[in-house]
Amino acid sequence: MAAPTNSIMSFTGVHKSFGGLKVIDEVTFDVVRGSRTALIGPNGAGKTTIFNLISGIYDIDIGKITLDGTDITHTPIQGRIGHGISRSFQNIRLMPHLSTIENVMLGQHTRARGTVDLFKPLGWGPGRRWAEMAEDALKRFGLETYPGQVVGNLPYGIRKRIEVVRAMMADPKILLLDEPAAGLNNQETTELQNLLRQVSDQGVTLLVVEHDMHFVRSLCEQVVVLNFGRKIFEGTPEQVHKDPGVLEAYLGTGNAA
Amino acid sequence: MLVTQQVISGLMLGGIYVMVAVAFTLTIGMLNFLNFTIPPIFMIAGMTGWGLTYYGLPFGLSDGGIHWAVALVVGLAAAAAASLLVERFTYRYLKAKYGDATEHAIPLVSSLGFLLIFENTVLILLGSDSQAFPVPFHDANLRFWGLIVSIPQMACLAISLGTVALLSSMLKGTRTGRGLRSIAENPEVSTLLGVNVHRIVPVMFLITGLLCGLAGIIFTLNYHEVSAYMGNEVAAKAIAAMVIGGLGNIWGAVAGGIIVGVVETLSIHYFGADTIKISVWGILLVVLLIKPQGLFGHTRIGKGKF
Ligand SMILES: Nc1ncnc2c1ncn2[C@@H]1O[C@H](COP(=O)(O)OP(=O)(O)OP(=O)(O)O)[C@@H](O)[C@H]1O
Ligand SMILES: [Mg+2]
Repeated sequence: MAAPTNSIMSFTGVHKSFGGLKVIDEVTFDVVRGSRTALIGPNGAGKTTIFNLISGIYDIDIGKITLDGTDITHTPIQGRIGHGISRSFQNIRLMPHLSTIENVMLGQHTRARGTVDLFKPLGWGPGRRWAEMAEDALKRFGLETYPGQVVGNLPYGIRKRIEVVRAMMADPKILLLDEPAAGLNNQETTELQNLLRQVSDQGVTLLVVEHDMHFVRSLCEQVVVLNFGRKIFEGTPEQVHKDPGVLEAYLGTGNAA
Repeated sequence: MLVTQQVISGLMLGGIYVMVAVAFTLTIGMLNFLNFTIPPIFMIAGMTGWGLTYYGLPFGLSDGGIHWAVALVVGLAAAAAASLLVERFTYRYLKAKYGDATEHAIPLVSSLGFLLIFENTVLILLGSDSQAFPVPFHDANLRFWGLIVSIPQMACLAISLGTVALLSSMLKGTRTGRGLRSIAENPEVSTLLGVNVHRIVPVMFLITGLLCGLAGIIFTLNYHEVSAYMGNEVAAKAIAAMVIGGLGNIWGAVAGGIIVGVVETLSIHYFGADTIKISVWGILLVVLLIKPQGLFGHTRIGKGKF
């Protein structure tokens, strides 16, 4: 199947098993350039696994992943970051003993290379701009009061946002967010949506795993639904509620969409 | 006055322990293993230096022994090269995965193997006797208010502390340093963020090799004596210094190194040379009883807090 020309990433005929358990079964979908696409499905459907396959944590068994026309199926993690894939994690994966700004700057790691920097601190000369960029991003996400604080002591909602900022710092073409609103209160969720709209307006494509359907409806224009490792639906958030297969999947597993 | 003199000597001696303790603490903090190759790497710097001043370059490339300063620079390079060799064949080659305690036994045991290989290679090539190292400034001392301060010792303490300060700012302020600290904290997540573990781990071994080599040179310059076993005593005390300061903490290793140096000279002064080990390890036990994580250690042992 040929990918539409406006697709930034295509995921074609992908299979993945873990020790005989088929977790991803013949999944094919495209992410439209500049879109805000949601990947939804009941618990255990394989959403995080798809993110792990896209970001290169796991190798796929059969199938192909392309990004912006480049086949990245066998590209290692670092290379994929370089190609413009960045992600956040469902369970927060910050470095608890490092400060907020240091965590955020780790997001720049693959980009911020230059001449031998071993004894040239980033705060000196032209290297200073990386630190400034990180400070600006923290400001934009309303985290400017925390730069020097050790991340491990900060509240959950703040750490969740720091993860999103860190993912942004890689300057991605496509940003994968695994349940970014989980555990946030209503106000924090609204703020997050506004920020993600800003990010999207700058041309970054968003692929979001999210259980909160209000969040999905108000942010995303395209939805892909997985169930038991298979794609069961692809369309708009309005259509998804009327689809009998999707209703069945959610009701069948006792989840309210 | 005599006591003050002993404290001053202890500070200088502590400068040597500081660098070796920092090398130990870096490896523990980052890779969670006690690097047994640190004592021979310390020794390689001194013994290579001595060999070159005594025999000259191999294969008759020089006409007899070469200048002591050049010889010591080559010794430093040899120490760094040895450390990279250790990285290649203990850590990188034999490492299976991170995070599992049993797998840390593999680099530990293979570094023990390297300790024996290095030591015996030097024994075969240069013999087991202690050798006098020819430096010209035996008696460059400053005297004020009745105290004697040896200039080489003072310079050595300054070099030691300066090196550690440079290292600390590199860890805090540079991209490589940040990568290093993130690997110390969590190698898996670091990899997911694109930190190249295989590129940065050798940098850490290079740093520890240079630290130990420099310490070996400073030791040689101050005591004018080298042997194939010169690293063992120093490394044992540096391990005590690291534990006193708190595992994985650079400034803790600095404090620990200086404490051990001063305790050592005071112990000689008050109770005689035989009591050094009892005093040093006694202080260690006291510190551990009061603060099990060491003076500056965090509660979680060996994790990301340089
Ligand atoms: N490394 C692994 N080894 C074995 N099984 C795995 C592995 N990773 C995921 N799985 C299995 O794959 C299935 C899909 O898991 P995945 O985490 O992708 O689901 P998910 O859609 O993200 O669910 P949730 O909504 O709970 O986050 C589950 O049955 C899970 O147990
Ligand atoms: Mg998941």
